[in-house]
Amino acid sequence: MVNATKGLFISCDIPMAQFIINLNSSLPASQKFIIHVMDSTHLFVQPHVSEMIRSAIADFRDQNSYEKPN
Amino acid sequence: MPQVRIIAKNFMDMVASLPAMKLDRLYANPFICQAILRSLPPLAKKYVLEMLYIDGPVSAKMLEEWVLADGSSKHRIALDRLIQLRIFTETVDRKKETSYRLNPTFQINLRKHLIDREVLPREPMPSNIVARLPSLEELEAYALGQWECFLLQLINSTQAEKLTNFSSSMMKVFQRGLLSQREKEASRLTESGFQFLLMDTNAQLWYIIREYISNSEERDIDPADLISFLLELSFHITGEAYNMNTLTEIQRHMIKDLADLGLIKLQQGRKESWFIPTKLATNLSVSLTDSSSRKQGFVVVETNFRLYAYSSSKLHCEILRLFSRIEYQLPNLFVGAITKESLYNAFENGITAEQIISFLQQNAHPRVAERIPSVPENVADQIRLWESDLNRVEMTPAHLYDEFPSRDVFEAACDFAREWCGLLWEDSKKMRMVVKAEIHMHMREFLRGQK
Repeated sequence: MVNATKGLFISCDIPMAQFIINLNSSLPASQKFIIHVMDSTHLFVQPHVSEMIRSAIADFRDQNSYEKPN
Repeated sequence: MPQVRIIAKNFMDMVASLPAMKLDRLYANPFICQAILRSLPPLAKKYVLEMLYIDGPVSAKMLEEWVLADGSSKHRIALDRLIQLRIFTETVDRKKETSYRLNPTFQINLRKHLIDREVLPREPMPSNIVARLPSLEELEAYALGQWECFLLQLINSTQAEKLTNFSSSMMKVFQRGLLSQREKEASRLTESGFQFLLMDTNAQLWYIIREYISNSEERDIDPADLISFLLELSFHITGEAYNMNTLTEIQRHMIKDLADLGLIKLQQGRKESWFIPTKLATNLSVSLTDSSSRKQGFVVVETNFRLYAYSSSKLHCEILRLFSRIEYQLPNLFVGAITKESLYNAFENGITAEQIISFLQQNAHPRVAERIPSVPENVADQIRLWESDLNRVEMTPAHLYDEFPSRDVFEAACDFAREWCGLLWEDSKKMRMVVKAEIHMHMREFLRGQK
């Protein structure tokens, strides 16, 4: 019988995919969210992590910026 | 980012949406017939002129013969437009043949207009009565000043120096859709509000006038009267004075509102008072894509991402603050910089990179306007790159299907998903596929049926 798993399909570039995989491995086993790594640019993850991934990417992005003090 | 765009539709689209009786009344005015003729697509204009002196119906087949084969889509568009505006009436007779004829009121009035050039219901006043007529430049400056003041009040800026005479309920109508109206907090610009600010003046004017007209019914003013007066106004001569006593009661009421928007300048002499249409008014019946009157630009963007805006207008300052960091404010100059943070701020508010770049291009200072491109390539590219940096990851809710009993079932399921345009990923070796969440139900039915 065909098995259906609900989740989130992520499509991105290679560095971002590596970033998400790294984020996944840094979490404790109960919170790991990657169900399958399809290839170097596509992942299948659990459905509720979209916000967490987005905020992690935003933090990563902000680490690189410098705002001139006013 | 969600792409919400407020479309400032053409005036003519609004005219087309009037009920049939009102449209027929409008066509009794020869100026409106002419204005509408001007606004038609070229093929439609040709059809109207050809049919102008034909009294009976013309069969649709004959009309199609006038066009070459590759023009048939334009033919359809023109016909649809003409039927929408009730200029053409379509009849199907017993033999199931369609024929068209021109709206009789429209036809009579356009013919009259062609033969004896109709004179406006009012003449410009002689110059001995009218003293101190403003020059065209002064008039233009006045119009722009009024319009800016109105816009500043619209976006609820505390920087508006003087308030227009619009009642607060009217302002609320205009603000609907542009500002989020919350009871206790200060209202914030919505996404459409930001896009509205970055549009060019003609488009903004259309939006406001459309809101004004749609709201007129609630104030017991017939929108057809408003539309006919506005179209008449576009045939007046800019800069000439027209006596106020030639206006009806309703029109007098309208004139005051139009003065606040900068379309009209009101003046008073010793015995008489008159109004002077500005360029904004006479440009009204020109369609949106015709941007003949380009106002002077004021922004210089340098390759080091610095911005110099030669303007003292508060409105321009507010607009620039939307996406850049204003650093210095001098009497006739704003100095700022386009930074990543200021752009992220803009993107969060729903403004797209294309809108920012086209705003900078359209308002480029004459010194840099001749340069191609007027905004340096590295700045434009960087703005687009920063925008795409926010969209690096695409997430789609989906379902993963595996453990297919046989390859045939797998192939069939893939084809099924492809038909519904929901197939996101398939792996034939491992017999796994990912399908969009929206069609999961259909997939389940299909797979059950496969057993």
